[in-house]
Amino acid sequence: MKRHLNLTVNSEPRQILVEPYYSLLDMLRDELHLTGTKKGCDEGDCGACTVLLNGVPVTSCLVLAHSAHDAEVTTVEGLATREGLHPVQQAFAEYGGLQCGFCTPGLIMSAVGLLEKNFDPTEEEVRYAIGGNLCRCTGYTKVVQAIMAAAEQARP
Amino acid sequence: MARFEYLEAHTVRQALSMYRRHAPNVRYVAGSTDFLIRSRMGNWNPEYVVNIQHIPALQRTSFSRRNGLRLGALTTVQTLQDHESVQTHYPALAAAAASFAGVQVRNLATVGGNICNASPAGDTLPALLAFNAQCLSTGPEQGEQRSTALDEFFTGPGRTVLEPGELLTEIRLPRPEPNTGSLYIKHSPRGAMDIATVGVASAVTLAADRRTCKDVRIGLGAVAPTPIRAYAAEGILRGNEITPESLAACAEEARNTASPIDDVRGSAVYRKEIVGVLTLRTLERAVEMARDGTMAFETQRRLAVQAAF
Amino acid sequence: MTTEHNVLGRSLPRVDALDKVTGRATYAADVYLPDMLMCKVLTSPRSHARIVSMDTSKAEQVPGVRAVITGNDFPDRYFGSGAVRDRRIMARDEVFYIGEPVAAVAADDEVTAQEALELVEVEYEDLETIVDPLEAIREGSTLVHPDMPNFEGYGFAMGGNNCTLLDADRGDVDQAFRDANQVFEETYHSQAINQGFLEPMACAANVEANGRLTVWASTQGPYQVRAQLASVLDIPLSSIKVNAMELGGGFGAKLRLAFEAFPALLAMKTGRPVKLINTREEVFTLNGPRLATTIHLKTGVTSDGQITAREAHSVFDVGAYLGAGPNAGVGHALGAYDIPNFRLRSYGVYTNKIYVGSYRASGVADMHFAVESHMDSIAHQIGLDPLEFRLKNVVKEGDANVSGASVPANGLLETIEAVKEKMSLPRKSEEGRGIGISLGEWRSGSGPSTASISVNEDGTVSLLTGSVDISGSDTSLAQIAAETLGVELDQVIVAKRDTDMAPFTGPSGGSRIVYSQGKAVQMAAEDARDRLVGLAAERFGVPSEALSCEGGRVYVQDNPPQSLTLSQLAAASLTSRSGPIIGMAALSSMPYAPVFNTQAAEVIVDKATGQVRVTRFVQAQDVGVAINPMGVEGQLEGGAVQGIGRALSEEMQIDPETGRVRNPSLSTYLMPLAIDMPAIENILVGVPSADGPFGARAVAEPPGFGPPAAIANAIYDAVGIRIKELPLSADRVLAALQGQDGDEYHIDVEALKKAETG
Repeated sequence: MKRHLNLTVNSEPRQILVEPYYSLLDMLRDELHLTGTKKGCDEGDCGACTVLLNGVPVTSCLVLAHSAHDAEVTTVEGLATREGLHPVQQAFAEYGGLQCGFCTPGLIMSAVGLLEKNFDPTEEEVRYAIGGNLCRCTGYTKVVQAIMAAAEQARP
Repeated sequence: MARFEYLEAHTVRQALSMYRRHAPNVRYVAGSTDFLIRSRMGNWNPEYVVNIQHIPALQRTSFSRRNGLRLGALTTVQTLQDHESVQTHYPALAAAAASFAGVQVRNLATVGGNICNASPAGDTLPALLAFNAQCLSTGPEQGEQRSTALDEFFTGPGRTVLEPGELLTEIRLPRPEPNTGSLYIKHSPRGAMDIATVGVASAVTLAADRRTCKDVRIGLGAVAPTPIRAYAAEGILRGNEITPESLAACAEEARNTASPIDDVRGSAVYRKEIVGVLTLRTLERAVEMARDGTMAFETQRRLAVQAAF
Repeated sequence: MTTEHNVLGRSLPRVDALDKVTGRATYAADVYLPDMLMCKVLTSPRSHARIVSMDTSKAEQVPGVRAVITGNDFPDRYFGSGAVRDRRIMARDEVFYIGEPVAAVAADDEVTAQEALELVEVEYEDLETIVDPLEAIREGSTLVHPDMPNFEGYGFAMGGNNCTLLDADRGDVDQAFRDANQVFEETYHSQAINQGFLEPMACAANVEANGRLTVWASTQGPYQVRAQLASVLDIPLSSIKVNAMELGGGFGAKLRLAFEAFPALLAMKTGRPVKLINTREEVFTLNGPRLATTIHLKTGVTSDGQITAREAHSVFDVGAYLGAGPNAGVGHALGAYDIPNFRLRSYGVYTNKIYVGSYRASGVADMHFAVESHMDSIAHQIGLDPLEFRLKNVVKEGDANVSGASVPANGLLETIEAVKEKMSLPRKSEEGRGIGISLGEWRSGSGPSTASISVNEDGTVSLLTGSVDISGSDTSLAQIAAETLGVELDQVIVAKRDTDMAPFTGPSGGSRIVYSQGKAVQMAAEDARDRLVGLAAERFGVPSEALSCEGGRVYVQDNPPQSLTLSQLAAASLTSRSGPIIGMAALSSMPYAPVFNTQAAEVIVDKATGQVRVTRFVQAQDVGVAINPMGVEGQLEGGAVQGIGRALSEEMQIDPETGRVRNPSLSTYLMPLAIDMPAIENILVGVPSADGPFGARAVAEPPGFGPPAAIANAIYDAVGIRIKELPLSADRVLAALQGQDGDEYHIDVEALKKAETG
C-alpha cells in the first residue's frame, strides 16, 4: 500500500504517496513526472538514472524510494537557475557533449558530482568519474572535453 | 517485479525484532544495489524488507595503530576508497574499492552487503581475506554476538554462516604490520562496471632484512565457489627469500588452487591462466610497496582497474 | 576547411541542446496520459514449438487487469521487416525462437501486468530446433520455415533455410585465379551484437474521440511504423497518427514496426491509453540485433601486388525471421579497391533464434572486418607494407564500382595521406605495441525526401520535415536552411513532427538525412528564397537577378541600402498576389556519392593476459563539406567507439542448443566506457560531392566499420598473431598467443557453388 514519503527534491520539500517497493527512479518519474531522469536498464549498469542523493551521485534505480526519506535529491531539472544553466549543462551544449540525449542527464549529474568533490580533475579522473555512465552516441571524446571545460569555468 | 512491505530500523535491536516478527519472509537490505535487481528478476521475493541503512551504529569507521581498522557494516565502498587510513594501511582494500562498479554504485553499496551477498567475485572480498578480516554479527534471538573469520564466513555462492535473521554488524581488520605492501588487481574486459573475471589481492610483509617474506596472504576471487585464501601458495613464500623464482612458484601454486567455472564472463581455462598471472603481479607490486613504503593511490587504482598494464 | 559561408561550416550548438541538457526532451517513455494503462508482453520460453493451447482466463481475473491479447486477437496476416513477409506480429500457433511474443496484458500498472502474465497458461509441444547457421545452410538440415517458398516476397535463393541470396559478378574469376601468382583464402567470423541504444524501446497508443489511433513511438521511421501498423491491424493507414518522439539512440534498431501494435490493440480494446516500455532484458531478447556472419574470401594477386580477382561467400544468420535485409554486405567485398574480376555471394539463413535487425550498416561492417583483415594478411604474406599494398589497389576516380557505376571525384587518397602523416606511418613500434589501419567505403544514403519552409511575419523561418533526428541532423538541416536563406541559425524553427503534419519521408538510416533530406531542405529554402526575391523584385521594379538574399534581408546588389527585411517581405506577402512565402521540395533519390575513410588504431597487447588496450585512434574521412564540424566529429567519434566495442568486448552470447541469449544485460553485454577509450582524433577531408547540399556527403556509417580490422591488424603488428574471429577478447588473444588455432568456422564453398550450378 502506498505510504507517505517526505523528502526534498530540487530544493523543494515534498510529501509524496509512494508504493513501498518503488525505486527512487520510479518515484521521480511516475509520481513527480520528473522525466529528465532516465531508465536505461533498471539494473544499475548504465548510469542514465543518476541523481545526487544528499550531494553524491547514485543510480536512482537501485535506491528504495522510502529509504530516501528526509534526504535531498537533485535531478537534472534542479540544476539550472533563474540566472541560467549550470556550467556543466552549458559546457555539454557548447562542446557537443550530447547527441541522442538519453544518457545526458545522468552524465551531467555524474559530472556535477565529480566537480563538487574535485574542481580540478585530470582527463583521466574525468573518465574514471563517468565510468558508470554508458553513452552510445558520442564516443565520450566531447563529453570529456565538456566536463574539463566546465571544471575550468567553475574554478575559483 | 515483486511487491513487498517496507520497514525501517534505526537500531540493531529494532532490526532484529522486525525480523523476528515477520520471519521467514523478510530480508535485510542496506545499499539495496543487488536487492532491487534480484527482486525485479523474481529471484528474491520477501514479503517484508527491513532497511538497515539508517542505523547509525553500523555506519562508524575507526582506525588505530593498536586496534587496526573497524568498519561498520554500512561503510560504503566509496568510503573505503577515499578513507585515508585504508589507503595508507590497507591499500589493497582501497584499490579493490576503486575497482568496484562505478561511483554511483560505490556510493550506495556497503562492505557488509558485499560480504553478505557472498558472490565469488565480490570485489572487496579478496582484499578483506588478505587482511584477515573478522566479521562481527548479532543473532536474532537474544542478540548474541559472535566473531567469524571471513575465511570461514562463506559456505558457497551466495551462502554464508549467518543464521536466518543474524545481522552482520562490523568488520575488523587486524592492525597493520610494518614493512607490508598489498595490492588488488582485477581482470575484467572493461576498466569499470564489470564483475571480476578474476580478482587477486596479495599482502606481503617483509622481515627486517627486507629480503625474507615474513608473512604473505593471498585472496582469490571468481575462481572458486567462494572467495578463497591461497594457503598452499602462501606456504611456499612464507619464511623464504623473495626471489623471482619463489614468487613465480607461489603464483603457480595459486593457479593450482583455483577451481573456476565457465560462465558468461569467461571460461574456466582462461580464468585458471589469469589467476597465476595476477597473483604474480600483485606479489611483485606488494613486495615493491613493502620495500619502498608507498605507491601513489592513483597508480594503484590504475593498476587495479586496468588489468595491470 | 575554410568557408565563405555564414552559418554553414560552423560548430554551432545543436538546436535541441537546451532541451536535452535540462532534461526536458520528451521520449516515448516520458508520455504520461490520464488513465493510462501499462502493457507487458509474455514471450516464448521455447526455441521452436507448436502452441497446443493457451488460457488467459486467470490473468484476466487479476484485479487491475483491463485486457489480455494473444496472436488470435490480431488479423490473420503475415508481415515483413525485410524483403520477405515471414512473420506474425504475435505468435499464433507456432513459436520460432525464445523471446517471441505470445500474449500481452494491459493493467493499471506494470507490476500488476507482470503478475498477470505469469498466470497466462500456454501449453507447448516442442519441435526440432536448428541454431547454427553454417549447419542450417547444409542440404537436408532441419527446416525453420518449411513453408518458406510460399512467403510473399520470397525470391531468388537456394531454398531449405536459405531465404535470401545476393550476388554480383564481373569478368572471368576462375581464369583470373589461374593467372594470379598467388591466391589467398581465409575465413572470417563476426559475432552477434546489439545496437546498444540507451533508450529501451517504448511506445504509447490511444484511440481518439474520432476513432483514429495516435501512437507515440521511439522510431527512426514514423511512416514505416504507420504503414506496418496499419497492415498488421488491418486498418487504413490514414487512421493512424505516429508521433515520432525524441529518439534515445536507434542505430538501425528502430527503423521499423517494433511493439507499437501491442499497446495499439490494447488501447482499441480498452478505450484507454496504453504504454509499453521494454526492460533492458527485452531490448536484448525481443528486438532484432545484428547476428553472426561468416565470410570466406579468396583473392588472386600478381607478383607485384596487384589484385586480379576476388571471390566472397558470406553466410549470415537471419534468425527466425528476416527482420532486415537481404544483407547487402556482399557488395562491399571489394572494399575500397579496384578489382577487375569478382564473384560475390551472400546467403541469408533462417535459424531458431531472435530475428536479425539493422545496425549501423549491418553486413557491411562485418564485411569490412573480413576484407581489411584479409588485405593486411595478404600484404604481410607477400612482403609488402600494408599501406603500400592498399595504395597499389585503391579505387580511383573513373574506376567502376561494384555495380558498374563510375566512381566520382573523392577524397580517399587524402584520407590515407592524412592518417599516414598523423600516425607517422610506416613505423615499427616496440614489442607488444602495434598499429593497424583499415580503409572504409560507403555511399551517401538516398531515398524519398521532402521539406517545406515558411517564412514567418517576423522574419523567422519554420522548417518542417518528416525525418527523425538521430544524429544532430535537425541542426544540420536548420543550418542548410539558414545558409540558403541568409538568416542566423536561431532564426530557424525546427518543428517537432508527426505523420499527420509532415509529408512522407524515408526513415532516418543509412546516413541519408543530411545528404538526401538536406538536399530537399536546400531546394525548399531556395524555393522560398526565390519567392522572397521575386516579391522584392516586384516592389523595387528590378529583375530578380539584381537582388541578393543575405543577412536577413533582400537587397539590390548595386545599391545595398535599397532593401527589405525578411520580416517586411513576409508581412507584405500576406496580401501579395502570390500569397504567403512557402518553399517546398520533394525528391525520390539522389545520385551515387561514395564516402571513404581511413582509420588507424594503436594498441598495447598484454601478452600474459591477452588483454588489448587501444591507446590511440585516428581517423580521416571525406565528408564532402562539414555542415556542422562539431556534429560531424561527434558522429565520427561515436561510430569509432561503437566499432571499438565490437572489436574488443561486445558479443551477444547465443546458446548453441536453444538459441537463447545468454547475456541479456548491460553488465554482461559490454559496451565501451569512457575509462577505456582514448580521445578519438579526427581529420575531416573535404572533397565536395557533386549533388549533396553544399557538397556534403554522408558521415555516420563508415566510422563504425574500420575499428575491428584496424585493431586486429594492430594486434598482428604488435605480437604477430592474426585473429579472424570477433570479438578480439582477452581469452581469444591469449589462446592465439599460446599457439591455439582459432579457426572454428568453415563455409563449404564447393557445396554452395554446386548448389548454384544445380
